[in-house]
Amino acid sequence: MKMFSISHKTAFVVDHCPYMAESCRQQVEFDMLTKNRPQGVIPLAPVSKSLWTCAVECSMEYCRILYDIYPTRKLVNFIVSDSEFHILNSWNQADQSTQELMAALAAVGPPNPHEDPECCSILHGLMAAVESLCKITEYQHEARTTLMDKADRVSNRGRIICITNAKSDTHVRMLEDYVQETIQEQNKLAISSDRLMQIQQCELVLIHTYPFGEETLVSDRPKKEEEQHANTSANYDVELLHHRDAHMEFIKSGDLHPAGSTSRDSGLKETVTLKWCTPRTNSVELHFCTGAYRISPVDVNSRPSSCLTNFLLNGRSVLLEQPRKSGSKVISHMLSSHGGEIFLHVLNCTRSTLEDPPSISEGCGGRVTDYRITDFGEFMRENRLTPFPDVQGSEVAGKVPLERAKRQLERHTRYWPMIISQTTIFNMQAVVPLASLIVKESLTEEDVLTCQKTIYNLVDMERKNDPLPISTVGTRGKGPKRDEQYRIMWNELETLVRTHMGSSERHQRVLDCVLACRSKPPEEEDRKKRGRKREDREDKGEKNGKDSESERSWQESERLKAALERDREELAEAEVIKDSPDSPEPLNKKPRLEVEDVQPAEKAKGPVSLLTMWTNRINTANSRKHQEFAGRVNSVNNKAELYQHLKDENGMDPHENGKAMR
Amino acid sequence: MPTVVLMDVSLSMTRPVQLDGTEEFQRKNLAVHGLTMLFEHMATNYRLEFTALVAFSSLWELMVPFTRDYNTLQEALNNLEDYDKTCLEPALQGVSNIVQQEWGSTCPCQVVLVTDGSLGIGRGSLRHSLSTIKHRSEDKKFPLPFPFPAKLYIMCIANAEELQNSDTLDNLEQLLSLNGGEGQIFTVEGPLCLKNVQSLFGKLIDQAYTPFHAVLRCGNLSSDVQVFPRPEPVIMDEEVDPAPRTILTDLEIVGFIEIGDISSPPVLSRHLVLPIAVNKGFLGPTFMGTGTTDETEEENSANQMAGKSPNFCVLLHGSLKVEGMVALVQLGPEWYGMLYSQADSKKKSNLMMSLFEPGPEPLPWLGKVSQLGPTSDAKENPYGEDDSKSPFPLQPKSKRSYAQNVTVWIKPSGLQTDVQKILRNARKLPEKTQTFYKELNRLRKAALAFGFWDLLKGVADLLERECTLLPDTAHPDAAFQLSHAAQQLKLASTGDSQYAAFDHNITPMLTDFSGSGSSDRDRM
Repeated sequence: MKMFSISHKTAFVVDHCPYMAESCRQQVEFDMLTKNRPQGVIPLAPVSKSLWTCAVECSMEYCRILYDIYPTRKLVNFIVSDSEFHILNSWNQADQSTQELMAALAAVGPPNPHEDPECCSILHGLMAAVESLCKITEYQHEARTTLMDKADRVSNRGRIICITNAKSDTHVRMLEDYVQETIQEQNKLAISSDRLMQIQQCELVLIHTYPFGEETLVSDRPKKEEEQHANTSANYDVELLHHRDAHMEFIKSGDLHPAGSTSRDSGLKETVTLKWCTPRTNSVELHFCTGAYRISPVDVNSRPSSCLTNFLLNGRSVLLEQPRKSGSKVISHMLSSHGGEIFLHVLNCTRSTLEDPPSISEGCGGRVTDYRITDFGEFMRENRLTPFPDVQGSEVAGKVPLERAKRQLERHTRYWPMIISQTTIFNMQAVVPLASLIVKESLTEEDVLTCQKTIYNLVDMERKNDPLPISTVGTRGKGPKRDEQYRIMWNELETLVRTHMGSSERHQRVLDCVLACRSKPPEEEDRKKRGRKREDREDKGEKNGKDSESERSWQESERLKAALERDREELAEAEVIKDSPDSPEPLNKKPRLEVEDVQPAEKAKGPVSLLTMWTNRINTANSRKHQEFAGRVNSVNNKAELYQHLKDENGMDPHENGKAMR
Repeated sequence: MPTVVLMDVSLSMTRPVQLDGTEEFQRKNLAVHGLTMLFEHMATNYRLEFTALVAFSSLWELMVPFTRDYNTLQEALNNLEDYDKTCLEPALQGVSNIVQQEWGSTCPCQVVLVTDGSLGIGRGSLRHSLSTIKHRSEDKKFPLPFPFPAKLYIMCIANAEELQNSDTLDNLEQLLSLNGGEGQIFTVEGPLCLKNVQSLFGKLIDQAYTPFHAVLRCGNLSSDVQVFPRPEPVIMDEEVDPAPRTILTDLEIVGFIEIGDISSPPVLSRHLVLPIAVNKGFLGPTFMGTGTTDETEEENSANQMAGKSPNFCVLLHGSLKVEGMVALVQLGPEWYGMLYSQADSKKKSNLMMSLFEPGPEPLPWLGKVSQLGPTSDAKENPYGEDDSKSPFPLQPKSKRSYAQNVTVWIKPSGLQTDVQKILRNARKLPEKTQTFYKELNRLRKAALAFGFWDLLKGVADLLERECTLLPDTAHPDAAFQLSHAAQQLKLASTGDSQYAAFDHNITPMLTDFSGSGSSDRDRM
C-alpha cells in the first residue's frame, strides 16, 4: 500500500465554455401525474439539462461517493475553465466537502452562451490543474516534516479528470501534449520551492461530452477505487460502492464469476451479490473481522437505499452471505454503522489456524479458583478509556491522555493481590473508601479526611472485636485468632498506603494516620517473654497513640485466653503468607522448629489442632502395621533402659522402670 | 501460520553421501534427520502449528494432511519410498491447492521445500518451467506467487560448492523472487553429514519457528506469555515507511474498552496469549498440547505446580469475559491491539490478542489512540454514573451523504421525487409552510449549483398553476405563499446576484391572515 498514490490528489477540470450551455437533449419530465390532480390539466413541458449541468452533477456525484468512502487523504481540487480558470477550493481537508463545492459552483453559474468561444479554452483549466498538483497537501507536508532527511520518500502523484468536448482525435492529442509539457515546465519550477513538489506521475482522464444524454457521462466516470456490491433480498436490491479489498478472498478464490453471473457495465464495475442474512447479530459480539471499509449507496436517495442506511444508522447490523462456486453459502460480510458512518466489515470465513486451542484453565494459574474476578472487573471499569480533544502542546508535561492512562494503571496496581485468599482489606467493605482514594494522583483535604475516618472506623471495629473476612483457604484449623486477624489486616493496609506515600504530602499523612492508629503488634510482649529473635518493626517508635494504650489491657486478657492456640495460629498465618508472593513480608516468621513443638494431645483440653490430630492418627495407623520396637514399648517417657537383662540376672524386678507389656 | 513440508523423494535423493568410516547415508536419510529435528522442535515449542507433509517426484502426494500430531508426521516421514524424477511445478501447484482448500487465500503459510538441488532435466524440470513462464495461458499459470501470503524456505541437502556447478541456485533464487522475495534458501555449510544438516535445520528453526515470548503488563501486574502464532513483521507503506515493524516483547495494557464500543474492529491477525512459567524457560507453555500423549510425568507435575500459582493472564481473561470488555494493548510506537476472551466452546475459552493496523488511528470510531485517557480526567464521567452512556463511537467531523439530505438528480426519478415533495406540501398550505419552504430552498440550492436555471423557471410555473387550481375552500394564505415562492424562483433563475445567491433562502411571505406564516419565518 502506498500512502501517496495517484488517488491522493484529483484535480477536476470542467469546461465552462459557451458550448457547454447547450442542451444535452435529454428531457426530464418533472410535472408528474398525481392522484389529486383535477381532470384536464395539461402537464408542463419537460425540462432539459445543459451539458454543463450534466458535467457538474456527475463530478459532484463523484465527490459525494469519494468523500463517503474516503473522507480523508483523498483530495479533490475543483477547477472551472472558460476565458480564464476558476479554482473553487484548495487541497485543504477543510475544503473537502460537497456543500462547499456546490456553493462555489452556484457562484460560477452556468456558462454564458453569448461569450466569444474564441476567448475560451479548457487549456486554462488544465494548466491550473497541473500547477495545483504541484502544490503540497497538508498530508504531504506533514509526512515530509516527520521524515526530515528522508523527506524525498514522500511522492507526488495525481490525476486530472477533465470534462470537455473534444473536437477530434487531434484535439485529444493536443490536450495530452499540453498537459505533458505543462508538467515538465512546472516540475522545473517546483525544484526551487518548499511548497511545491515535482509531479512524478499523472493520470489524465478525458471525458468527452456531447449532446445525447447523461448516460455517457455516468458510465465514463472512472471508478478505479471502488467496485459495485449489491445486496439482494426478496424485496429489494441496494447497490453499494466500497473499496475493492472487501472482496479479496472472493476474488482470489475464483468465486467472483461463477457460471451465469453477470458482470455489470462490461467489466467497468465488478458486482458481487450478497444476500441479507437472517441471523441477527448484536454489538456485544466480537466478530473476527479482517477489514472494514466505508460504503456509499449508488442511488443514495432511492427508497431501498435510504431504508437500509437508516436501519444501519439506527445502530443495527446486517450480516451478509456470499454464494460460493460449490453452491454453498457462507456469512462473509457485516454492514454496521459507527458514529454515523456505515462500514462493510469483512468477516473471516475460512478455517481458523487457532482452532481447538488449550483452555486457559489448563495453563499457568489455571487451577487457581479464587481470583478476584469481580474486583478486577471493577478495576477495568475504573480504567476505561475515553477520548480527549487533541489540544496543541499537550505533548509536553506528560499530558498525553494515553500516558496518563498508563500512569493511572501503574498507581492502581501498586498493591493488587490477585486472589481472594491473599487479601483481607479488599474483602472488607469498610476499607473501600480509603482503597479507592489512595490510588488517586492527588488527594484533596476532604479525601484525607475520608481516609482518616476509614482508619478510625477500623480502629473502632478492632475495639469491638468485629470479625474480619480473613481467608481460611489453605490454612489449618479455623484460621488465625481475632487479634492476629487485625494484625494481618493492619499490615496489609499499611503495605497498600505505603506504596503511595511518595505521591504527595497528603498521601504521607494518610500513612502517618495508619501508623498512629494501628494496634501495637501483640507479639512484642511475647517476643520478650519467649526471647525469640524477631524482625523489628520499622515503625516501632512512631506508634502507640492514646488509643492503643487503652486497648492494651484488653488485648492482654484476650491474649492469655488464647495462649493454648497460639502456636498453631502462628503456623497457620505463615501458611497464608507463603502462598502469596505479593503479600507483605510477614513480620514475625517463626522458625519451622515450632512444628515439632506440638503439644501432646491429652494435654490440650481445648480444640486440638489439625496437625496434632493428623499426627496422632498417622501414628496410630502406623503402629498397627508393625510390631512396635520392644525398647519403645518398654520405655517410660520415651526412655528405655538398656541392658535390662543384666539387672534381671542380678535379681532385679524386670518391670521396675517400665510399663507392663501390652 | 500453517506449514507445508514439501519433500523431494526423487531418485537423486538416494545418492550416497561420502562419510569417513561410518555407515553409508543417503541424502534422503540426512533430509529425514533434519525434518525429524524440525518436528521434534515443533512438538515441544510450537505445538499449535498445523503441518502437512507432501512428497513429490514427477507426481505429488499429500502424505499427511494438516495436523498437530507430530507422531503421525514423523511416522509418514520414516516410511517415505523412493520414486522417479523431480518435477517441482506440479508439486508447488499441489501445495497451492492444498493450502487454499484448507485455509482459504488470506491465511499466511510457510512452505518448507526439502530437496537435494537436482531439479530435473528437460520437460518438467524447474529450469524448463521458469523458461516458459511468460508464455502461459491463463489456466496454466505458474503456481508462484501463491494466492495466499507465503514464505518459501528451500532446504538444500547439498552444499553451496556442489550447487555452483549447475544453475540450481539461480533457478531457486528466481523461484524466491517469484514469491515476492518472501523466504530464504538454506544450503549445507561444509561437508554433508548429520551434524551439518542439523545446523542447517537449526537455522530454519531460528528463522521461522522460534516461539514468541513476551511480558504482558498492566501497571505493576504482569505475566510471562507466549504469543502464538508468532506475530510477523508488518510493512505499512513500502514508500514512505519501508522498514518492517515488529511488535514489542513488552506488551503494555493501556486501558479498557467495552466490546460494544470497540465494535468488531478490523484486525491484521489474531494470536493466542498463553501464560508461561518463567522457571521453565524456553520449554514452552505449560498447557497440554493437543494430540501429545508422551508427556513425561515430570513435565506433568511441573505443569500442575504452575497451574496452582496465580497468574495475571487468568485473572485478566476471567474479568474480560465476565465484563464483556477488551483491553487495549500497546504493541509498539503508534501500534495497538486488543486482548479479549475468545470462547472456542462452552467450556474452553482463551485469552486472545488481535493486532490492529499500525498507525495512530487504527479505528475511526475510537479516534487517535494517544488521545484516549482515563475517565477520571474527564469533568463528568463519560460513561454516566449508572453506566448508561458511552463516549464512543466518535462522530466524524462531517456527515456522510446518506446521513444528510443530499440532492442527486442524475436519475430523473430523483428530480421528480423532489418536485413532488414540494407540490405535496404546496397543497397543504398554510399548515405545511415550513416544510414547503425547506424543500423549495433545497431544490433551489441544487438547481443553482448545477446551473439548472430552467428547472427553477419550470417549478415556478408549476407553483403558479397550482395557485390557479386552488379550491375555493383553500386558506387565502396559500395563494399568497405560492405566488410569492414562484416569483422568488423566477428571480433566482435569472442568475441575478441579488436573488441567485447560494446562501440566500426564500422566506415565507408575511401576511395578515394568521400568525403561522410569520412564526414559520422565525424558525427558518
